[in-house]
Amino acid sequence: MKNIKLLVAIAILLCSTATDVFAQTVNWASLKKKQRHILNINTGLDYGVTYGVGYGYQLKTKLPIIINGEYSFPSGNNVVDDFKTKIGGSIRFATVNNFQFSAKIHGVFRRYENTLARLVNFGSDMSVTAGYYKKKWYVASEFGFDKAVVTHFKHSQVYKNNFPGVQDGWYEPSTGGNFYYGIQSGFSFEQHDVYLKAGRMVTQDFSTTPLFPFYLQLGYNLRIGK
Amino acid sequence: MKMMKTNLMLLAIAITSIFFTGCKKEMNISDAGNLVPKTVDQDPSLSSISVNGTQLHSETFGNPDSAMVIFLHGGPGSDYRNGLSVKQLANNGYYVVFYDQRGTGLSKRHDRNSYAIQLYLDDLAAVIAHYRTSPTQKVFLFGHSWGAMVAAGYINTYPNRINGAIFAEAGGFTKKLLDEYGEASRKLKLFSEATNDILYYDQFLTGKENEHAMLDYKMALITPFAYAKGNSEGVEGPSPIWRYGAEVLQGFMKIAEDEGFDFTTNLSRYNTKVLFLYGENNKSYGLPFAQKEAGYFPNAQISKVNNTGHEMIYFKWNNVYPIVLPYLNSLK
Repeated sequence: MKNIKLLVAIAILLCSTATDVFAQTVNWASLKKKQRHILNINTGLDYGVTYGVGYGYQLKTKLPIIINGEYSFPSGNNVVDDFKTKIGGSIRFATVNNFQFSAKIHGVFRRYENTLARLVNFGSDMSVTAGYYKKKWYVASEFGFDKAVVTHFKHSQVYKNNFPGVQDGWYEPSTGGNFYYGIQSGFSFEQHDVYLKAGRMVTQDFSTTPLFPFYLQLGYNLRIGK
Repeated sequence: MKMMKTNLMLLAIAITSIFFTGCKKEMNISDAGNLVPKTVDQDPSLSSISVNGTQLHSETFGNPDSAMVIFLHGGPGSDYRNGLSVKQLANNGYYVVFYDQRGTGLSKRHDRNSYAIQLYLDDLAAVIAHYRTSPTQKVFLFGHSWGAMVAAGYINTYPNRINGAIFAEAGGFTKKLLDEYGEASRKLKLFSEATNDILYYDQFLTGKENEHAMLDYKMALITPFAYAKGNSEGVEGPSPIWRYGAEVLQGFMKIAEDEGFDFTTNLSRYNTKVLFLYGENNKSYGLPFAQKEAGYFPNAQISKVNNTGHEMIYFKWNNVYPIVLPYLNSLK
């Protein structure tokens, strides 16, 4: 257990201090070298109706690399009990004419709470994207894996009334993981990107799905810089 | 820049390690007794009976020679813990029998694809046979929700074996009625806290088929949806349960979808008076639904239980008891 916490700590530390890859959808063809800052807002379906914001920073590298952070939360009366943060980034690692290939990797920290339990999870999200990119528009496909690596459980008195022997604490090995695959497309103009992505999710055993097995995101990027 | 690239490499190695290696064992969801209670096959101290090729968590109250009342809990997948008030009937000269249906509560778990309606009816027959002390001992069924559906299924299959039955808001005696009740009682409000609470946790917990502890725990976590503020079934709040049988629910949902069911084909042959109960506050059930279900029997009494909803037995037993006892006494 100490090993996993150490690895997670290293991952988060590195994510927060250095290079990384980008999670928000970006039009690689319209992104200019001097557009260092990218602001993002989005909404959609990501295990429920969610709203999110993000910030990305493009590094001065030969291959385009963007580090970023994201925060999102589901709708509901209580907007602080559940949330997801990601720190990581993306790299466009290959181009063939207008076809571009990128990868992203994120450390994930997320929280879930209802009247029975509070779950806090460290996880990872990795994906690859391949698409056709023009300056004004693009269309791409993505495939990724979101893994809930280690989760802390804390139960309320309501749950303990049912099961007093419940064991609070860190649980491992992995408590979950979902693959996802889908398409994304967007329009770009001046410093703006508007994009839509959608796809399907399946659990890591490929035989079951989340209760709502789809994702959808409508987002907007503002690229700051010339 | 070189430093950044080095850090990127380290990050990739660290996260990849987390992805594929996991870590040393500390607490594991799959270990019995961590997040959900142990079942009778894992904890010998629990009261159980071995019948029909399984081990059921079971308790009895009252004189074994008295008329038997078998309580059939809801679900599929719930357990009898929130129906324990029924044991009061033992003070009125009844032998009250509780059991967690196969794969539910503290009873032994089985694979999802092993469940079948006839198997559940066979289990009920086996429980009756296990506890019955004489061939003339009368047997009454008291079913709540899904348990009332099982009671109907049993009477439909064996119209001559039961001496009376109480149906507390059966979820539907046919697939059509089940769908009708489901649509009325399980409406999702996409932007609500309750809905997101049953969707959002799928990124924290995933379980493979028959990974019982994980799936049962996941099932337990979404139960607040049933008693969310404004719920149409008039459920007042949480009621006690030992452990959900997630694979039982999945198994029977698949059976219902793939094969359908109809527990009404022989009910017209059952001439004994039956009792239907409905909660005043359950907007999804009510008198109209009770009348539909009662209409399959030649002789049915319908009674409203005031100031409660679907979980009437737990929350308003004091209102249920005065209706149930005279009914049973009339057939004793």
